[in-house]
Order: sequence, then structure tokens, then C-alpha cells
Amino acid sequence: MAVIAVALSSAAGGFAYFMPAIQEAFDATSQVVVVPSPTPSPSITGTATPTPQHPPGAFTVLLLGSDNDTKFQGAVLTQSMIIVRFNPAAKKVTMLSIPRDLWVPLSTGGTSKIDGAYSYGGAGAAIATVQNNFGIKIDAYIWIGLAGLVNVINAIGGIDVVTQAPVFDDFYPYDIGPGNPYRYLRVAVMAGPQHLDGIHALEYVRSRHNDLQSDFGRSARQQVVLLALRAKAAQISAEDVPLLAAALKGQIKTDMSLSRIATLLPLAGSIDIKNIQQVVLLPPYTHGCGCPSGYVVPVWSEILPLVHTYFP
Amino acid sequence: MISRAVVAAGIAVLMVVSSVGTYMYLGSRQSKVAAPAQLPTSATPSPTAFNLPGTLFVTQAGAIYSFSAGRFHQLTPAGAGWTQLAPYPNGELLAVKRSLLFSDVYIIDRFGKVLRQLTHNTAAANNYDPSARHWSFYPRLSYNKKSIFMSYDKPKFGYDVPMSIWSMPVGGSISQGRLWSNAIDYTGGDIQPLPLRSGLIYTKYSYGPDCSGLESQLWFTGVPERTFAGQVCYPPAGTAYGRPLTSATEGCAQPSLSPDGKTMAMICTHKTQVSYLELASWNGKTLGPRRTIITNQLVAQPTWAPDGSGIAYLAPSVLGAGFQLWFLPKAAYTPPTPSPSPVTPSPTPGVTPSSPSPIPSPSPTGPPVVTKPLLMTSNLGLDATSPIVWLG
Repeated sequence: MAVIAVALSSAAGGFAYFMPAIQEAFDATSQVVVVPSPTPSPSITGTATPTPQHPPGAFTVLLLGSDNDTKFQGAVLTQSMIIVRFNPAAKKVTMLSIPRDLWVPLSTGGTSKIDGAYSYGGAGAAIATVQNNFGIKIDAYIWIGLAGLVNVINAIGGIDVVTQAPVFDDFYPYDIGPGNPYRYLRVAVMAGPQHLDGIHALEYVRSRHNDLQSDFGRSARQQVVLLALRAKAAQISAEDVPLLAAALKGQIKTDMSLSRIATLLPLAGSIDIKNIQQVVLLPPYTHGCGCPSGYVVPVWSEILPLVHTYFP
Repeated sequence: MISRAVVAAGIAVLMVVSSVGTYMYLGSRQSKVAAPAQLPTSATPSPTAFNLPGTLFVTQAGAIYSFSAGRFHQLTPAGAGWTQLAPYPNGELLAVKRSLLFSDVYIIDRFGKVLRQLTHNTAAANNYDPSARHWSFYPRLSYNKKSIFMSYDKPKFGYDVPMSIWSMPVGGSISQGRLWSNAIDYTGGDIQPLPLRSGLIYTKYSYGPDCSGLESQLWFTGVPERTFAGQVCYPPAGTAYGRPLTSATEGCAQPSLSPDGKTMAMICTHKTQVSYLELASWNGKTLGPRRTIITNQLVAQPTWAPDGSGIAYLAPSVLGAGFQLWFLPKAAYTPPTPSPSPVTPSPTPGVTPSSPSPIPSPSPTGPPVVTKPLLMTSNLGLDATSPIVWLG
């Protein structure tokens, strides 16, 4: 009886330790998402597949990174949209960054910049818009807020990256934390190999004013940070999970189940970096509109063959 | 006979101990990935660090530290924004003090005391325009010791904030400065000046001749630019006085000239997320063939020992675990002296022999001695964007 009591109390101790993580896991995962049925858009009719499929066993996730909630009072734009395809059979991962200013028909109706899809209709609209336009079947989404990215990078002790160029921005939005979210901050991220904490990593991936390639340059930087996160995450242990859960509290959502996440995480960590393909839709896949609103015009005749090559 | 109450109490105590113990045990098994970097002054450097000549100066978390005879000394308070050191006469240092919206260059003595503020890059407190402030980075004293070179964000145009190379008189101000380089628009600009007797080497960022990817190159110029000329992508022929020393595909930066002025150390990325320590001969005009010395570390800030005995650099010992101080002895990159019974070196991770020894005859003297880089510190978080200063 004493042995049973000790075993039970030990289990209770373990449960108490992992309780915050379990709570956050249940709160963040298995989000209900309604994906509207595809509506063929004029720009892609006859080219994109209305009901896209993917190779058996492959799994495609749409990563969404958002502006600050308080600034837009809930109507958040997705500053980052990255399609990530895991192919366990080929031990390969492919990442495609979608320019936030891409001018596309939205699943909610009308045509707009693609970053508005999430704002108008949540994750379901973002998924449907991507599926309709790119012809890629999205199996799940992960949304992370700006503060969540900062917190998770800090929770794993920062990341090591090689910043390809210095990033200077005199008008960087100073909207993390208390105070007027419309203030500006001067940002100076040095070039070269370095260790970045969460705030500076966010500055690196978010700034776009002083980049000739604007959102494309930023997309490439986001992929660099994602890979650095993956490298660092390989060093964490199961006992770190409560710490990470606390860091991500309320800043991450996904419609994936816990079991699905449990199968994907080891896969993500085991894939050789040489088997991670990175795609950014630079010209000739897109071009500027030459208009004040600054949207990006997709060249579907170039994009769709590329998509079909990398996301068969 | 033990009463039931005692047994119950005993079991209750056991349950409390086991549950709390389990909780604490799991907590103790957390990985150390998020452990904060150790203060250099409380770290225990490697025993080999005691043999390094002279004094090294590094920065961590906004504080300047000196390192001599195997011990660190903190010179300035932590969190004060100190970074990017450079040598100055009489054992003094040039240093950048960085604030939230601007940075300034100072002269400090070897004990960290501020002797003089050289730039004044802030704006009036009631000026709420962030762009009214300026950045000064990477200060270096000129060869003739009469002026100070630095990266300075002037001119800038709204969203376009490129750094250009400027020089200012030692006793003057940046308003008396001269523009030495025309930065490419929307790149981050020109940084890391290395003044020489014959001119200036610096790191230029551009989108390359075909305007595709943003990369770094080492450039050389013998004279200051006469006027500012806005440039997009790459300097058109005839618009820049300088010339590239490395190709855009090499992605080289952080130039460091050996004490004898004959060898350049630099960091090259080759468009990857890996950095390589490369050496090349320097004849005052051009760089010779590259020799890759370190290949498997995230290496930064190569700095020559003043007595020529090796190269110090910063790199993590484990990826993501903070940058440490390393020392690569000269033997690791010096071509071996030919001997009657030469040996063929075998490749060693991390160290590429400085030159091939293609003598096929087997050595009767046993395996070759390969010199590896030496880790000087552990658990630190040294600032990898801040050059090391090594004084004799």
C-alpha cells in the first residue's frame, strides 16, 4: 500500500510539473477551423487544381505570423505566410514564403493583399485562399503572434544565425509591450554570425523598410530564423516543455492534434539541412504594381509550375 | 507495535516527499539551452589561456572586459551598450556606446574610463523623429593617426538608411568629416573600415552585378569619394573610386590584417548559413588565393596576435550556446617547412591544412601533428558583432 501511495504521489508530482504544458497544449491545439470550399478565381482558372492533393504520407502546414493584436484590435494581418511541406518518405522539407502583399482573390470574396485573408476570415480563410490560389493542399495551420516568437526564442536561450547584411530601419514599429503601439524605433542589426535573443531576432525578421527586396528579403530572413530555431530546438528536452508552454501562452494556435504534433516534431528535427528546400517568390514570379498601395502582382504562369515542382 | 496513525503519517510524509521530489527532479533535468551566459569575471578559462600574450579586449552584454594572464577584468558596467572596440595609441581604446536610438564613439582608457566623446549623434529630447538621430559603428584610427574612420548613416533618405564610410579629424567633429564610400541604397551600406597606408579596405553590401542576392564584398579605395551618388544594386562603372577585392559569391566581411601586413584574415559565408575563416596574401593592392582555415564553426571576428603567434576568434562551442573565445596557433595555418621525411596530413574536422603537402612518400615518423583551434572560454556569451582588440 505504501508503494502504491508513493507511486501515485510521484505520478502526481510529474503531472503537476507538466500540467501547465498540458493545459497550454489543449488550449492551443485542435482549434476548430472551417475551410470554405474552393472557389476558382479568374486568375488561376484552368491552371490550379481545385481540390489539391499531395504525395502519400506528406503533410503540409501553413505557418502564419501576425501583427500585434492590440494595434489592430483583433483584426490582425499575417506578416508572414510560409507553406511548409514535410515529406517523411523522402526525408525532405520544403518551405515556400508567400509575399504578404500578394494581390489575390480571397476566399472570403473580393481581391486584396493576401495578408488580409486571416483578418477577414481567420485561419480557415487564410488556408482556403492559399489552397485556391496555389493549388496546394493545406493539412493544418500554426499561427504564432509576434510576442510568442520573441518569447519562444528567449525560452530556448536565443538562436545563432548568420545575418547576410546589416539591417537598419528608422521606422520600425515599436508595438511590442506597453505604450503607444504606433511609435517607431530605430533598429540596427549588425551583419555576420551572431547570437540573437527574441527581440533582436524579431527585429531581424520583421524589418523591411531598408531592404530593396522588401517583403521578399524579409521572407528569406524569416526562413533563416526558422532554420536556426529548428537547430536550437533539437537541443531541448521533454523537461523543457513546461517552460516553452509558458513562453507561448496564448501566442500560438493550431488545428493539429497533439498526436500529430508528436509525430511531426521528431521528423522536423531529424531532417538533414541539405534536404530543406527554401523558395521565395522573387521576380519573375511576381512584380510590383507601380501603384501607391504597393501590392505585389503574382505571375501565375511562372508561379504554378514552380509550385508543382516543389509541392507535387 | 506501531499505531495506524503513525503508519498513515509516515505514508503521508513519503507521498509528500515523493511528489515534491519528482517535481524537483524533473525540473533539474531541464536542458541548459536557456541558461544565461556566465559573466566572464566568474568564468574559469582554459589553462592554455594563461599562455596567450598581451591583453585582449572583448564585449559581452554591453560591458567591456579585458583578458590577460588567463583572467577577465570587467572595465565597464553591464548593459551600458558598449561594443565594437578598436585599438588607440597608448593602450587606449576606441569604443562604441549604443543607446536605443543612436550610438556614439568614445575614447576610453585601458581601465574603461571615458576620456573623450568623439561623436554626438543624438537629437534634442523634444525631437520625436527617430531618423533625426545617427548611428556610428566600427571606429578605426587611420594609419597616420590623424583621423578616425567609422561607419556613419549619412546621407540617408527616409526608409533608405545605408551606412557609409566617413573619416573625421581626431580632434574635430563628424561635421568636419569626409565621405570615403558611396553606399548602395537599401543594403545596409558600407561597414568595417580598415584604414591602411595605401588606402582603405571596407565591407560593402550590394545586390551584385545582376541585382539578385544581397551579399558582402571586401572593397578597396585609395581616395575619398568626391560627392555622394545614390546607387541601386551595384556601383555602375565609373561612379565609385573603389574596387572589389573579393567576389559577390564569396560573401566576405570582417577584414583583419596580420601584424606584418602581408596576410588578410576574413570571414566568408559563400551564401550559406555557415561562416568560414579564410586567409589570403595581401600585396597592398590585391588579395591572393584564399585558404580556408576554419570550416565547421560559426566563426567571427578574426584578430591577429600582436606577436604573430596565432589568430583569436569568436565562435560557439555548441551551436546556439553563445560565442566563446578561441585561439588558432600559427602552426595550424602556416605551410609546413619541407623536411627530408615529410608526412601527408590527414583532414581534421574544423581545421583545413593551410596548404596541401602532396608528397606521396609514406612517412616513417608516424602520423602528422595537426594543430587544432583551442577553446579559451566556456559558457560565455561574447558579442560576435564586436571586433576583438589584442594589444601586445
